[in-house]
Amino acid sequence: MGDRPVARAVLTKPCCDDAPGVVRAGDPRVALVGNPNVGKSTLFNMLTGARQRVGNWPGKTVSVAQGTWRSPGGGVTVIDLPGTYSLVPGSPDEALTRDLLVDRGMDGRPDLVVITVDAANLTRNLYLLAQVMETGVPLVVALTMVDIARTRGIRIDAGRLAELVGAPVVPVVPRRGEGVDELGRVIAAALATPRRPAVPALGDDLETALAQVTALVPGEAAARYPARWLSIALLAGENVPGVPEATAAGARAAGAVLTDAALTGDVLTGDGAPDDPELDDPELLIAEQRYAWVHEVIAEVVTRAGAGRATWSDRVDRVLTSRWLGPPIFLAVMWAVFVLTTKAATPLMTGFQDIVDGPVSAGAGRLLDALGAGEAIRGLVMNGLIAGVGQVLAFVPLMAIMFVLLSVLEDSGYLARAAFVVDRLMRLIGLPGRAFLPLIVGFGCNVPALAGTRILSDRRHRLLTGLLIPFVTCSARLTVYVLVASAFFGSAAGTVVFAMYVLSIALVIGMGLLLRGTLFRGMAEEPLVLDLPPYRLPAVRVIGAQTWIKLRAFLKTASGIIVATVTLVWLLSSIPFGGQGSFAHTPIENSVFGAASHAIAPVFTPAGFGDWHASAALLTGFVAKEAVVSTMAQTYSMSEPADGHQPGGLGAALRDTIGQTSHGHPVPAVLAFLVFLLAYTPCMTTVAAQRVEIGGRLTLFGVGMQLVVAWVLALAVFQVGSLFL
Amino acid sequence: MSPGDFARGGVMRLSRVTGDRRHRRRLAELGFVPGAKMSVLNRGLHGGLVLVLGDGRVAVDALTAATLVVEPADG
Repeated sequence: MGDRPVARAVLTKPCCDDAPGVVRAGDPRVALVGNPNVGKSTLFNMLTGARQRVGNWPGKTVSVAQGTWRSPGGGVTVIDLPGTYSLVPGSPDEALTRDLLVDRGMDGRPDLVVITVDAANLTRNLYLLAQVMETGVPLVVALTMVDIARTRGIRIDAGRLAELVGAPVVPVVPRRGEGVDELGRVIAAALATPRRPAVPALGDDLETALAQVTALVPGEAAARYPARWLSIALLAGENVPGVPEATAAGARAAGAVLTDAALTGDVLTGDGAPDDPELDDPELLIAEQRYAWVHEVIAEVVTRAGAGRATWSDRVDRVLTSRWLGPPIFLAVMWAVFVLTTKAATPLMTGFQDIVDGPVSAGAGRLLDALGAGEAIRGLVMNGLIAGVGQVLAFVPLMAIMFVLLSVLEDSGYLARAAFVVDRLMRLIGLPGRAFLPLIVGFGCNVPALAGTRILSDRRHRLLTGLLIPFVTCSARLTVYVLVASAFFGSAAGTVVFAMYVLSIALVIGMGLLLRGTLFRGMAEEPLVLDLPPYRLPAVRVIGAQTWIKLRAFLKTASGIIVATVTLVWLLSSIPFGGQGSFAHTPIENSVFGAASHAIAPVFTPAGFGDWHASAALLTGFVAKEAVVSTMAQTYSMSEPADGHQPGGLGAALRDTIGQTSHGHPVPAVLAFLVFLLAYTPCMTTVAAQRVEIGGRLTLFGVGMQLVVAWVLALAVFQVGSLFL
Repeated sequence: MSPGDFARGGVMRLSRVTGDRRHRRRLAELGFVPGAKMSVLNRGLHGGLVLVLGDGRVAVDALTAATLVVEPADG
């Protein structure tokens, strides 16, 4: 292969995490290719272990995992490409396989492709294999799901398959590690003596047309692309960069002759007439001929026992996807996810927080004393760094639970069914059914919900969902609703809190429609065609590895922003403003933070709550909504009420303040305050998680959008409400 | 006929796929090629169907199902 442009073809700009020494420029490169849900990533994890990183594909925003496999013959760089059904890409994720195998040119290709082929669904998997064989890249077939195939009475002659494909075939069960060692030996041998695979025959008519096209291709283009692939692509009418227009026109003419011949020869079955434009397409003829090759291969290598029996997976599907039982079961599963990410996580979160607040803080305090640290350093370490780290750590169990649940839902095969059940509902805002899961989780906490957007394969769907999640009211906001509503509405507080939830759903739908009509205009509404993988018991080892990798990425990206923000707020509330008090010994009203709250307050005057107590609470709400109530108490120099339903003196103080700022319209003013609280930035951790999932620029846009929406809504609620209340 | 006209368990053979080029190519890649044998595994909400296509199971919405022109076939 000569000198490989490794730096160009491997990942750049690692986005999330890395381990030392994961990729070495001189190592041979192996790409893992395959349909979605066929055990490709599991195989990748088995080969590379923790020696992997996730990074962006050069020039694209699709993330790809890459790692080092310590093969018998030395280090090998393994690239785990996103699942694809075809080398004619339908999504940015799918485009990567095509990019690596074809578009980067002959020198940019990997040394070897390991293609995972699902033994339980051989037909569709062999279709992709046929396309990869057409590129001529040396390959090894990892025959996965052989255990499931066996239970279905499907037996595959791997030796005969290897002869027909012209490449080694190794049966594996990656989840149990079966066959992985043998696969490793075969890959090492294939790297040592690479050879081209066989070429799938596409029938006499197509082969004749392909020979005509090949003769038209000039030397330059022929050197740049795999010859067989190029001829097929040109015959299919693809625009291939670097190919002269005359060649492309000649290929199109050959394609037209081919389709005419096919139609008059009745190659296409069905009721289409020769002038039917829907049939006038060489690309479909090529697809059909590939499937004809696939069926020939299957006839030679597959024997079946008890064909036609309904599998247990089918019997489960008849229940889980049924029109009557599907929706309630889906809601029950979502409820379970919601409960686990809220209730079950709470004691763990408190436990982590207690460890930081207790032994860690005490230890740090003693250490600082021993070092003779001054007041300022002590405050910075204790109230800035350690408090920030505590907030990050408190989210660790929550995120771990979310990542485990995502893996279980995905690996078990249920997520695909859930997407089918709820697809129609989510289409209302232009999102696929799968988007329901992160949105529901958002009611517990927006942070794991943002991580949950990874279940969406289309990048624009992920971005849109990532922008909508902050409008889902999380449980932290609930504590403030309860306190404020109890202070102002007494026994009707429950209704007000419920109304906030209804408003939250309305905001998600409304903003979804608005964004879809503006920023996400033209986002293709994909018809639902969803491959349903067979149900499987999730493998603990796989889930553990996936959770650890995702958690490490979250900690690395989010911790900095959270610690910095917590430290900043502490610093601002410690620095005296206007000459009163000294550093860390100043009432909050006289600190820089208090001054900033005073300065911001007039912004909220038209919304009826233009007071520094309210704006101070909203400012700390940027960091965490959990801090809003304690800040309110602090600004009124009161202790935080133990029970939000009985706000006591703090409630009375709030009523006094809002009574003054609203000029006699406290009800619309407090409603406006609650609406603002619902719609603006949930917390700093959410912003950090958004940055991980949708990037810095869109995160900034999202924060701005939430502030504008929150302010406009609060204004409307107060101005309209004060006409009546 | 379209798959929506078939009851659960109904077996059919695909004649052709209608719709734009991209849609037809996508479905062809998934195995929806003329002559392919299919059956209805389940009917979901709003006309969605779970189809048995070879060894695979594919969920389609009502709109996609309507683009599949099929004829009855022997089980």
